[in-house]
Amino acid sequence: MLHVLQFGAWLLKLPSRIPVWKQQQTEPAACPRAAGSRCSSHAACADSTDNFVRETEMECRVLSIQSHVVRGYVGNKSASFPLQVMGFEVDSINSVQFSNHTGYAHWKGQVLTADELHVLYEGIKLNNVNHYDYVLTGYTRDTSFLEMVVDIVQELKRANPNLVYVCDPVLGDHGSMYVPQNLYPVYKDKVVPVADIITPNQFEAELLTGKNISTEKDAVEVMDLLHNMGPDTVVITSSDLPPRLGDRFLVSLGSQRIVMPDGTSTTQRIRIEVPKVDAVFVGTGDLFAAMLLAWTHHYPTDLKTACEKTFSVMHHVIQRTISYAHEMAGPGRRPSPAQLELRMVQSKADIEDPAIVMEATVL
Amino acid sequence: MDCRVLSIQSHVVRGYVGNKSATFPLQVLGFEVDSINSVQFSNHTGYEHWKGQVLTADELHVLYEGIRLNKLNHYDYMLTGYTRDVSFLEMVVDIVEELKGTNPSLVYVCDPVMGDNGAMYVPEALLPVYKEKVVPVADIITPNQFEAELLTGRKISTEKDAVEAMDLLHEMGPDTVVITSSDLLSSLGDQYLVALGSQITVKADGTKEKQRIRMDIPRVDAVFVGTGDLFAAMLLAWTHHHPNNLKAACEKTVSVMQHVIKRTITYAKEVAGPDCRPSPAQLELRMVQSKGDIEDPAITVEAVLL
Repeated sequence: MLHVLQFGAWLLKLPSRIPVWKQQQTEPAACPRAAGSRCSSHAACADSTDNFVRETEMECRVLSIQSHVVRGYVGNKSASFPLQVMGFEVDSINSVQFSNHTGYAHWKGQVLTADELHVLYEGIKLNNVNHYDYVLTGYTRDTSFLEMVVDIVQELKRANPNLVYVCDPVLGDHGSMYVPQNLYPVYKDKVVPVADIITPNQFEAELLTGKNISTEKDAVEVMDLLHNMGPDTVVITSSDLPPRLGDRFLVSLGSQRIVMPDGTSTTQRIRIEVPKVDAVFVGTGDLFAAMLLAWTHHYPTDLKTACEKTFSVMHHVIQRTISYAHEMAGPGRRPSPAQLELRMVQSKADIEDPAIVMEATVL
Repeated sequence: MDCRVLSIQSHVVRGYVGNKSATFPLQVLGFEVDSINSVQFSNHTGYEHWKGQVLTADELHVLYEGIRLNKLNHYDYMLTGYTRDVSFLEMVVDIVEELKGTNPSLVYVCDPVMGDNGAMYVPEALLPVYKEKVVPVADIITPNQFEAELLTGRKISTEKDAVEAMDLLHEMGPDTVVITSSDLLSSLGDQYLVALGSQITVKADGTKEKQRIRMDIPRVDAVFVGTGDLFAAMLLAWTHHHPNNLKAACEKTVSVMQHVIKRTITYAKEVAGPDCRPSPAQLELRMVQSKGDIEDPAITVEAVLL
């Protein structure tokens, strides 16, 4: 007769891959950053060599309000898995449910109205669980929906004044808007003022500030204007600025304003040049915003490192995706939208512990 | 691995039931998960309040049409669980049948959720649909004792009864049946519950054989929600890796459950405080925290071959 093992007896214990940020453990009480941390039991600490250490279990809850697609990786599909893999609790409100993203030949599905969004939030509120450390939003097409999002953010900030709202102000790209024009004043007047971290591309940064970007100096001024509108952290995710590394790269910039206890502020500005890839990806902006949330959480006053990690993750996922897509499509053929879906689950290890493959320069 | 699962289950904004319970673990194990959310609720219905919207059978069909029009209706697995609507369930069957047409090797993993402890908690009209339409196209089913009795019309009082019920279920369709919990007495005492499994496999020489197993699983004194959904998802994963070895597949599956449940109850008691019953919110499965156990579960329960 075979024995039944007692509950709790561990027969096999194989070591799991331990990410860089778990390799050192320190007493949370000794951590100087703990006082400024955003999450209830968060303890992130950097020693002098900038290896940060943290507790074994994070307790950080994100409310993400984005699209859901049955197949593929955009919106909440793009943001949830990577954040969960990194230990974040992700509550997700699906603003739409579509079969797939709208770059395919066909797409079908249903959208959530502003009222239905409110109803879902009410359920959370009635149960007294409307406490979040982060809110994350992206592509939206409806002004009343966006206004409801703002109401929710404001209420959540009252419930938790330390809440960080990460907002991708999706309006358009390459000189034209691809959402209804009437979203623009809502972003400008209502959304950005309550955002803490925003990830506009160059076009969106220009739209929001009314200022054109032709030089790095322009970009810095635009980011300062965006800071004045609300967010302390701004990343211009892509631009037309001439890269120093050549035309196979694109230039991204970031700016983080840190307010000291005495009321003075310092601003860290960075520039990072990112390899271009000859393909149209969908969902990369959503992944970027999610990973910037994660890495600014671990490096709250070090935008340089947060961006290096974030852009590196993007690079690994995109490389894996383009290799697979070319393999599937065959030589000399353009991969289809289906073949170009991000290789998200296959990139788990890179998401957990991205090798840094690009360096940001501090301006 | 390039294994694609279509999972049609509930979505909750907060917590882990339905697709929320099934998706992350399967993704962590490397499966591509396409998910159709049959409802979107704020949280599961064990909380004091819940609010949200349901998907109609027509809307389900529309979503599937989008997939089909793009010629992407190719799946290795389909996974379904708790459903409350007859027409929705019938649409699910239509989808399974069409997907089996595009991939005859598709494996349909079905949790025939109808009730527990002697009472149905879905509309009675679902029973004939499960019996006559769903179970016949299922390949793996995970009924509890009550559901196994309902589907076969046979009472289970002994292990022999359970084996006969599983044989009847095989005849209805699925080659793999796991009775996830039962009232049968465990030889280890009343702190354990008995689960049973039966799988028909084809040997190298073409003959069929049945592997039957029993597991004695430690009880936990709390009500968890979403554990059945996690179980079905993990059984999908581990039968994928051990297609002809139900013993190994169930040991991994049940062990994952144990790790997640233990982590959850420890956390729940910690946040509730001494002598306080944890709330539904506090008892939500510690899913993301259990990633390591999901990826590589240490075996904590062994299955006995019958």
